[in-house]
Amino acid sequence: MAEVRLKNITKRWDNFVAVDNQSLDIRDREFLVLLGPSGCGKTTTMRMIAGLEEPTDGEVWIGDNMVNDDLPKDRDVAMVFQNYGLYPHMSVFDNIAYPLKVRGTPKAETDARVKRAAEQVELTAFLDRKPRALSGGQRQRVALARAIVRTPKVFLMDEPLSNLDAKLRVSMRAELKHLSRELKITTIYVTHDQIEAMSLADRVAVMRDGVIQQLGTPDDIYNDPANMFVAGFIGSPAMNLIEGSIKDGQFVTADSTPLVAVGSRDRANVVLGIRADDIEIGDPGKGDLDVEIYSFENMGENTLLTAQLGQQRVIARGERHLRKEQGEVVSIWVNAAHTYLFDNETGIRIRGDDDA
Amino acid sequence: MTGKQKKKLMNAIQVTLILIAIFIMLVPILWIFLAAFKNHIDVFQLKLLFTPTLENFKSVFAPPYYLGRKLVNSTIVALVTVLIAIPAATTAAYAFSRFRMVGETAMLVTVLATQFVPAVVIILPFFVMFRDLGLLDTRLGLIIVNLAIVMPFAIWMIKGFIDGIPIDTEEAAMVDGSSRVQVIRNIVLPMAAPGLLTAGIFCFIISWNEFLFALILTNRDSVTLPIGLALFKAEEGDLWNLLSAAGIIIMVPMFILALIIRNYFVQGMTMGAVR
Repeated sequence: MAEVRLKNITKRWDNFVAVDNQSLDIRDREFLVLLGPSGCGKTTTMRMIAGLEEPTDGEVWIGDNMVNDDLPKDRDVAMVFQNYGLYPHMSVFDNIAYPLKVRGTPKAETDARVKRAAEQVELTAFLDRKPRALSGGQRQRVALARAIVRTPKVFLMDEPLSNLDAKLRVSMRAELKHLSRELKITTIYVTHDQIEAMSLADRVAVMRDGVIQQLGTPDDIYNDPANMFVAGFIGSPAMNLIEGSIKDGQFVTADSTPLVAVGSRDRANVVLGIRADDIEIGDPGKGDLDVEIYSFENMGENTLLTAQLGQQRVIARGERHLRKEQGEVVSIWVNAAHTYLFDNETGIRIRGDDDA
Repeated sequence: MTGKQKKKLMNAIQVTLILIAIFIMLVPILWIFLAAFKNHIDVFQLKLLFTPTLENFKSVFAPPYYLGRKLVNSTIVALVTVLIAIPAATTAAYAFSRFRMVGETAMLVTVLATQFVPAVVIILPFFVMFRDLGLLDTRLGLIIVNLAIVMPFAIWMIKGFIDGIPIDTEEAAMVDGSSRVQVIRNIVLPMAAPGLLTAGIFCFIISWNEFLFALILTNRDSVTLPIGLALFKAEEGDLWNLLSAAGIIIMVPMFILALIIRNYFVQGMTMGAVR
């Protein structure tokens, strides 16, 4: 049980800066997700906490100890790797028992704890098998069991679900969440999948180019994105980002079509962010704007309608029984309560209340 | 000719060529195998039916040939060479595979480059050096020479096997609480075992068959089997029946080792990483 603190850590390889002077406090028992596109420094950050990578600068603290100079084995962390990192020459039992064995745990206790860990991940029937005789999902469970067989200070998980097929990923995600709430151990989880981040995290740190863009609860980063990158990265389908300007309190698209009242000072070069769910679809003439349908997709549980808006396209979510054809004209209106404004140059959020 | 007939013809040609190749390779071995069980007179006749005798095997171990001593020399030299070479090469290969070092590529190439020097070029300096050091005609001397011959080969081969072990597996072991030494002992060595065995057997074969250095650097006490073969030249001509018997004694261990390698090689390929 411990908090993890990163103080101004930097990781550089020659001229490439993977992590750029970042600080992050992870609370005791918190499930923190590092989220970002590949190459954003999230895995490097985790590997520095594990001790597999040495920070170029800055300090890593686990609990009350500065662990920069500690070997991985002395940091009391457990890690689940993307490729699982199982020991192919050992049985499932020996794989799970390994962290106990190298620490000289008595045999009776080892047996009991391996059995308990195997039960928690439903592997009891496979303890005698070698990893190669297991399916991908089962191997993932072995990796998990090996992590939970001890009670480490911190769990580190590096894209643990990304090698599983889509269906299995969803069920493993739920199991992982259940397990983590049961174990109540500080967990740092790296992923590029925003759905995993939203569903698992207590807090999410969104990273890009070695810099944390926003740190907040899933609610925060979904409903109150700090900048255009976070806004565009979180959510499926991605948030509509429409270029334009503000004139007389109205957002006007680049093609001079007034779209929605935003109640902000007039300025040029603005991006309006609006989620697909916050655009209503109706019969022509009923809404604020009539648009032609670029494509219509039936997703089963709902529908997605992409409309041509001058030079740009916007995507709106319709109810599941909506049926439209490409080329038809519909009317849309934007829910003004859920719009976001960004500076198109810096990407920074323009808040309604600041008169910048 | 239809396509099917054409294919059949091509197949037939292929099989014929393969059979010819096998024939060319196997006939000398078959000849030696037969000659070893023939008496001195039968050797010079190509007949396949003769009264087999074990007399040749008895005489090569008897005076004046004492093949037994040469067998002991060969075995000791090859075994000790392997027992030193494999652990030493494994540590070197692990370092080359896992650590980034200054001048790493240069060192690796240098190790390989030692193999490019023709043995005849350096054999005289070796002779002079060994004479001054008192290593001439000693097993220790031969072991040192053989180590120089097999080490580069063993390092490169074992490095290949260690490269094949996913780094994830080692990192997992480190986070799980192992020191570097424990990682090597508990994870790397067992996973690379088929590779180490294969490399070991190859080194054994190279040492076992080494001729040139043994010829120059030994004369009585530490003569090895390949040099021993040269003893069977007598005034009345080559003693083919004895030569063949000795040849079989040299070859049989090689055949057995080749069979073992074959099994482990397949195992090494299929064990693979678990992804």
